[in-house]
Amino acid sequence: MTGPFTVSGDRITFSVGDDEKDVLRSVPTLLEIGGDAEGRLDYTPHPDDEEAATRYRDLVGDDLAQMRRADQATFEMVLDGESGPPETIEAFMRVIGEARIVLAGRLGIEDDGWESEMDMQADPELALLGWLGYLQDAAVETLSELF
Amino acid sequence: MTIAPDRVDQPEVDEDHETARSWQVVVWNDPVNLMSYVVWVLRKLFGHSKEKSTRLMLQVHNEGRAIVSSGPLEKAELDCHRLHHHGLWATLEQT
Repeated sequence: MTGPFTVSGDRITFSVGDDEKDVLRSVPTLLEIGGDAEGRLDYTPHPDDEEAATRYRDLVGDDLAQMRRADQATFEMVLDGESGPPETIEAFMRVIGEARIVLAGRLGIEDDGWESEMDMQADPELALLGWLGYLQDAAVETLSELF
Repeated sequence: MTIAPDRVDQPEVDEDHETARSWQVVVWNDPVNLMSYVVWVLRKLFGHSKEKSTRLMLQVHNEGRAIVSSGPLEKAELDCHRLHHHGLWATLEQT
C-alpha cells in the first residue's frame, strides 16, 4: 500500500475520507472551458510554424479534449472507490496533473522553487496544489511498483 | 535472431523520406510537473529505463529542455501528442 492507493493483484483502489473526496470531486470543474484562462494546457508541437500548427490541429481535431474527458470519467469512477487496472490510476494521475497545471496558472507560478518561496497554507488553491502533488507522487510510486 | 549477411548492397536513399525522418521531440521544463511524474511518463511512453528517464528528467530540469525521442514527422507528432496528453510541454524540431 502506498498512501491512499491499495494494490491487490493487478488492480488498484483509491481510498480517502469523504471530505477529501468532496474536494477531489471539484477538480474536473477546474478543467472546464474557461478554467484554464492562462492557456497552460493549450499545447502545440509547432509553436513557431503557424502553417504546421494549423495542419496539426486539423489532423488531431479534438482528440486531446476527448482523451481528457475520458480521463475525467475514469477519475470519477476511481473516486467512487471502484478498483481498476493500472490504466485507471494513470488516468486519475493525468487529471490531477492537469488540475495542478491550471492551478499554477491561476496562481501565477512561472518558475521553479515556488514551493519553498510560498506559504502553502496561505491560499486554498495553493494548499490544493500541494495536496494534489502529494496524491500524484503517491500514484507514481504505486504504478512504479507495478512496472 | 539471425546472423548478419557477408555482403549488403548499398540501399537506395529516399531523400524525401530522409528529410521526413529528422524530427526531434523536445520536452521543456515547467515549474509544476513533479520530477517523479516526468520520470514515470518517459518510462511509460518510450520504454526508457528508470536511469535513462531520470537522466532526461534532470536534463529538462537543469538545462530547460531535453530531446526525448526522434523520428519521422508522423511518429514525432504522435509522441508529442502523447506527451501533451500527459501534461508535459513538448514541441518538435527538425534537425
